[in-house]
Amino acid sequence: MNEPPKEPVKYVETTIHLPYHYVAGDVRARYLHALKEKKILGARCSKAGKIFVPPLVASPESFAPCEEFIEIAACGVVTTYCVVNIPVIGRNIEIPYVAASVALDGADISIFAMIQECKPEDVRMGMRVEAVWKPDGERQGDHEDIQYFRPTGEPDAPRESFLHRL
Amino acid sequence: MAKLRNVAIVGFAQAPIVVRDEHRVASEILYPQVRRALADCGVERDAIDYQVAGSADYVDGRPFGFVAALDVTGTWPPRQDLHLEMDAAFAAHYAWIRMQAGDCDTAIVCGYGKNSEGEPEHVLNLELDPYYQAPLGLGPTSTAALQASAFMARTGTTDRTLAEVAARNRTAGVRNPDALVRARATADDLERTPWAVAPLRKGYLAPTGDSAVCVVLATEGKAEKMCERPAWIRGVDQRIERQTLGSRDLSASAGARLAAEKALAMAGVGAREADVVELAATNPAEELILLEALGIGPSDAVNPSGGPLCGHPFMMTGLIRLGEAFRQLAGRAGDHAVPRARTAIAHATLGHCLQQNLFFVLGTERRWT
Repeated sequence: MNEPPKEPVKYVETTIHLPYHYVAGDVRARYLHALKEKKILGARCSKAGKIFVPPLVASPESFAPCEEFIEIAACGVVTTYCVVNIPVIGRNIEIPYVAASVALDGADISIFAMIQECKPEDVRMGMRVEAVWKPDGERQGDHEDIQYFRPTGEPDAPRESFLHRL
Repeated sequence: MAKLRNVAIVGFAQAPIVVRDEHRVASEILYPQVRRALADCGVERDAIDYQVAGSADYVDGRPFGFVAALDVTGTWPPRQDLHLEMDAAFAAHYAWIRMQAGDCDTAIVCGYGKNSEGEPEHVLNLELDPYYQAPLGLGPTSTAALQASAFMARTGTTDRTLAEVAARNRTAGVRNPDALVRARATADDLERTPWAVAPLRKGYLAPTGDSAVCVVLATEGKAEKMCERPAWIRGVDQRIERQTLGSRDLSASAGARLAAEKALAMAGVGAREADVVELAATNPAEELILLEALGIGPSDAVNPSGGPLCGHPFMMTGLIRLGEAFRQLAGRAGDHAVPRARTAIAHATLGHCLQQNLFFVLGTERRWT
């Protein structure tokens, strides 16, 4: 009794199963539904006029509500990027690949996107890119409706046009 | 008692509690409350020095879920912020301490987290130790029933008394527009509800729900400019007890008694002088245990808002008690106002069987001159 057991119980295995049922929220629901229609929605800050994509209920910068929804172009400019050579958490993507911050035309903040249909070494800040959508009938109203962005071949945007949208 | 800074609650906004908000995520429910609470005080966000929040990631189901709230609390330019994995009433206590240290004069205290998106009973099971207690499947209702049973055995309290305590809360809640349950229920009605976990009936339990809360605190000099009738914090104390349920006398709450004594001593008032006592009791036995700890009996001064039995947004329930105390003292309680309320006690708790207790004593008069 005074000795610990010869074969001690080293581990207690506990499996925790906690289900959650998230609502998307009306703002996200509108954004995601628009993706299905090949549209990207933003929201305009009622105080500073900045346009946030995806739309937000409030500007994190001015604290004012963003109540006006605006359709944003599905093309823009690479503001910053990186070349990923390590496995991606939760996604089956061939490496190396380019993860970029893309400022869509008319938006004041960038979204994150993959850049494909070009070599990683050809990607640069200022490169013009456009969304490549899943085909009609396959879009589900989720972030993967935009498969990736690809170069448009247009001349690069000048740095001063996107430096405030990094 | 050393002289401390006088700190007051000067603003409060609460989203009416609902079973499930189908349209908004937690931060989206919170945003209008922060705006309303500041508008109450007639100030812009930049007038606030410090922000602190309380919520639980396990309620949200998102690790670091609390950071989402930063986008709706006006976190620009970069702010001083802290998050507690606790009921947001404890965040209010923290802000008060920061004010005593002279770090800040004004603060917003936020509570949020949608109870409806997860399973609070299940989450609270995990709060127990993972070797002996959690695997038994004990949840907060079971442990509360163990405590109720111990309390009833020691004091001779009957099922009828529990029904009467629950009915008084339910009657009061009818007049609170922010309550989740506003249907009147008599002791007879509640005594006929089926057992949840005996000796607790379904009608004696606090229904969880979705809400969001924002309280504004300010120190003397600023508080008077932000609110016509500030609710001054005259005393505050919190105490925690051991984790192992078997190691403490569940029939009473030693921690609540000590925290209440300390807070009342700091405030320089007796519990009997309180016109309003808002308790975060999630069943009538807990309410009676807390009243015993305070040394007072049941009365209409207790939970004029209807208390948690009329809506228990877990992790905000305590901060709502503080907000309700403010409403009463500031003359903003509308239909559930206690006339001429001058002194209020607000309580918050965490853990199983009242493991941790926080008491605020508030008054219409400053404590320190």
